[in-house]
Amino acid sequence: MTTTTPRSGGPAPGLAPEPDYGTPAVRGEATAGVTVDGRHVQVPPGTSVMRAAREAGIEIPKLCATDRLAAFGSCRLCVVEVDGAKGVPASCTTPCVDGMVVRTDTEQVRQVRHGVMELYLSDHPADCAGCARGSCEMQDLARRTGVAQVRYGLVDTPTATHVDGGAARDVSNPYFDYDPQACIVCSRCVRACADIQGTFALTVQGRGFDARIAPGPTDFLGSECVSCGACVQACPTDALVEKSVVQLGMPTRAVDTTCAYCGVGCSFRAEVQGSGPETRVVRMMPSKAGGANEGHSCVKGRFAYGYANHPDRQMHPMVRDSIDQEWRVVSWEEAVTRVADGFRAVQAEHGVGSIGGISSSRCTNEEVYVVQKMVRAAFGNNNIDTCARVCHSPTGYGLSQTFGTSAGTQDFASVDETDVMLLIGANPTDAHPVFGSRMKRRLRQGAQIIIADPRRIDLVRTPHVEAAHHLPLLPGSNVAFINAMAHTIVSEGLHDEQFLRERCEDVEDYLQFIVREENSPETTAEATGIPPEQLRAAARLFAAAPNGSIYYGLGVTEHSQGSTMVMGLANLAMVTGNIGRPGVGVNPLRGQNNVQGSCDMGSFPHELPGYRHVGLDDVRDIYESLWHVTISPQPGLRIPNMFDAAIGGTFKGVFVHGEDIAQSDPNLHHVRQALTSMDLVVVQDLFLNETAKYAHVFLPGSSFLEKDGTFTNAERRLNRVRPVMPSLVGKDEWQIVCDIATAMGYPMHYESAAQIMDEIAATTPTFAGVSFARLDEEGSMQWPVNDKAPHGTPTMHVDGFVRGKGRLVPTVYVPTTETTNRRYPLVLTTGRILTQYNVGAQTRRTANSTWHPEDVLEMHPADAQMRGISTGDRVELSSRVGVTTLTALVSDRMQPGVVYTTFHHPVSGTNVITTENSDWATNCPEYKVTAVQVAVANAGRADLAARAGTDTVDPVAGVADAEVARR
Amino acid sequence: MSLQGGFEVDSEARMHEPPEIRLGGDVARAFAHYPPERAAHEIATHLRKFWEPRMRAAVVARVAQGDSRVDPLLAEAVRRYLAGDIDSGEIAEPSGG
Ligand code: SF4
Ligand code: SF4
Ligand code: FES
Repeated sequence: MTTTTPRSGGPAPGLAPEPDYGTPAVRGEATAGVTVDGRHVQVPPGTSVMRAAREAGIEIPKLCATDRLAAFGSCRLCVVEVDGAKGVPASCTTPCVDGMVVRTDTEQVRQVRHGVMELYLSDHPADCAGCARGSCEMQDLARRTGVAQVRYGLVDTPTATHVDGGAARDVSNPYFDYDPQACIVCSRCVRACADIQGTFALTVQGRGFDARIAPGPTDFLGSECVSCGACVQACPTDALVEKSVVQLGMPTRAVDTTCAYCGVGCSFRAEVQGSGPETRVVRMMPSKAGGANEGHSCVKGRFAYGYANHPDRQMHPMVRDSIDQEWRVVSWEEAVTRVADGFRAVQAEHGVGSIGGISSSRCTNEEVYVVQKMVRAAFGNNNIDTCARVCHSPTGYGLSQTFGTSAGTQDFASVDETDVMLLIGANPTDAHPVFGSRMKRRLRQGAQIIIADPRRIDLVRTPHVEAAHHLPLLPGSNVAFINAMAHTIVSEGLHDEQFLRERCEDVEDYLQFIVREENSPETTAEATGIPPEQLRAAARLFAAAPNGSIYYGLGVTEHSQGSTMVMGLANLAMVTGNIGRPGVGVNPLRGQNNVQGSCDMGSFPHELPGYRHVGLDDVRDIYESLWHVTISPQPGLRIPNMFDAAIGGTFKGVFVHGEDIAQSDPNLHHVRQALTSMDLVVVQDLFLNETAKYAHVFLPGSSFLEKDGTFTNAERRLNRVRPVMPSLVGKDEWQIVCDIATAMGYPMHYESAAQIMDEIAATTPTFAGVSFARLDEEGSMQWPVNDKAPHGTPTMHVDGFVRGKGRLVPTVYVPTTETTNRRYPLVLTTGRILTQYNVGAQTRRTANSTWHPEDVLEMHPADAQMRGISTGDRVELSSRVGVTTLTALVSDRMQPGVVYTTFHHPVSGTNVITTENSDWATNCPEYKVTAVQVAVANAGRADLAARAGTDTVDPVAGVADAEVARR
Repeated sequence: MSLQGGFEVDSEARMHEPPEIRLGGDVARAFAHYPPERAAHEIATHLRKFWEPRMRAAVVARVAQGDSRVDPLLAEAVRRYLAGDIDSGEIAEPSGG
């Protein structure tokens, strides 16, 4: 262990931690007047004396209390005197009543505290490295309680005496250590694990002085611990401490920013050392002020930031003439010229529409905006799409058709007021962990949950949470399922007639449709596999809830009927009147950090920013007059259409911004064929990803630690991303895009990312009130932000829908064409795991791979046994389009007939076998349903390999192009 | 059993269909539950709103060739589309996705 220069405790200058009020805020009017040491303060009744004192500016010493946890009252360091009360009560557990008079610094109080502190110090190592470093509060508390003179007179010359020779340090977790000797058994960590994270991995073991906390009968790595970091954050001593703090010492500077992983959009304080390009991140601390996370985090955002300076990171632009050549490092000027000239040459030969761009949901709003602007203004076409195409485009279509705009209706806090949740096609404890914890907390408080998922996800049963219903529906039967839910509710008269009458349209047609026999739970059971009575019971439970809410993920969208299913969910919310107030709503859980934002910013080929169709003259006018160009009124190509057109020979150049389409898109064989058919593939990324293998120009990107901008999370919340260091590759990503456009003859100039946001605000009504300055002031804001809602809009569609009336759409179940047969008797569905993220480019380059070194294939014991497969076997997974090899995991979480895997690792090539089947409305790939066979590896491979790669296209001669295009 | 949309689809054959026939067939199946007039209109509007011109040109060409793999409802929609029989006001509706 390295010890850094001893600091005298307390934070470094400019690094003050967020204030800790000791106990959680109490909601309500501040009607209780309390006097603390002569200072008067008004608080809501029930507020603790400790919190009231802190609000009055008086900090009472505390050990077991922290404002993210309910008071516990065990350490008795926080005692005070209260007029008229006997003895010295603990201030953290004493509620305020009007007229109370409190004294925090009397002789009696000082004596008790002194005694308590002595006792704790007698069990705390005198040479505590944390005390020396400033990451342990004990020394500071000792000083404040007047014990320091006794024990810490010589603190800078540590002695070797340990208090007990007891348990050894647990260093098994890759991100933090546990030192039992420094533990004072305040149980803050135990309570954080239970109350905040909801995992219940920690317990107190032993009694009295021997008591210590333990992660069950094993070490941290082997335990149930999910490494969310809540215990480390809660620990007042150095018993739980980040390894990075031990190695690097305390941070010297802090920057507030936003996690760049998932769609929860957690706020973090990046605590760093050094400045400029030499900046080193010491730790990421979740912000209590963060609107999305309120002080919580998961293992990705909290710990997995190391990829930003991984040796694989590319720092220089590179070019090559063909993809079998070596890369050649070039200057930015040369790279930009090469891209601009190359794209123009392609257009000269193949036409304006022969190039396009793909923007990334990992990038900032400002970056996405300039990419779509470059395509529309400099490329001169609408061939811009985003990776949201392959995840949440059906959300866009479905919610627009029914509600009038493409966004979740609530904020995350809304779940605190819900009574029954319907969760479908999402696995929040893995994919949206911080929101998953919030759901679990609400469920422990007594709300109920209905889970529709082919797989028994953790939320079905987890400590102190049990789903009211788990409906293990067959992959591909979502629409049949949701229709059966609505059918039950309407045919049993449980629907909200008043809501339908006042707020909705096309009601009669829909009601007639839904009560048809074909939609009954009995008839749909064949498709869904759900026993009708169980479905009816679930439907009744949802209908009876005062507040019923719907949460969904990619298990809804990534289907041939993804858009239909989103409309089905919207229908259900309207039929039950669950729209327009806290506790209800239709809530898509977005995959990547900025899926919402990238869609908002006009990166769909048929829409300008703010979901406005390119065919609308008045919308095009706004941009045409500002940008001084003519914008095509025709929709452009979507990503899968780009691939088809590339293979067909009419699409020859693409700019791929921070996306790995050669790993993340379906039927990789087809994708690779498309990429190799192009004359110019430009990739911008942190790493030489799979797509870069097919690229002619590689542009290095900046990590989120180097970016200035905004991300928009799943609740429409715009969060600021602030650079903790300048771009390590010498150019901001938005600047590179502007340079390319400029070199193509369309000058694009911005002074800063803030100026890009100003342009967005000036041209998009839903963002009218947004600017970096306003966001810095407010912390974050949920769009729409405009004159009517200057602070943003937590709940949408309150008095009316964005489109006026909510529209009910008949959602006829059309089974997917991807069907099982004798050759491919199983259905493969895909998902995610907690520690890895998307294609894994970042998380695989961190210690997160400790937990998930490879993608495994989960299958039911019956299916496994029939094929002679056991856990750990290498198995071959084959579909109609391809074959790959994985390791098997036999698990009764699966139902017979369904197998499951993740797609975080390129070697497993899961998308080699997924097909090009897609959502009818948006072409979002049907990742969740692929007919497959599984066999012990090496059986019958040749035959399958031969079958893969028979992807033939016979392009039709475009007749009457001009004629058609005019319409 | 629930509505099938209309047409038996062979997933093997589908894999080898050109995209405009395959994707067009998907759109047609999604609207097939409407009466034929309305269905053709909805499909044509969808193509107008979401399909890039060269994809529209391709499907038009398939219909002109009388390609037997083209879903009949899709073919009807394409004829309507060519006749310009689409209410342009409909694209003013929020589109999404
Ligand atoms: S590890 Fe830290 S938080 Fe947990 S009981 Fe010990 S001192 Fe308290
Ligand atoms: S929940 Fe999502 S946004 Fe929050 S820390 Fe984890 S990955 Fe980041
Ligand atoms: S802080 Fe109040 S009893 Fe521990």
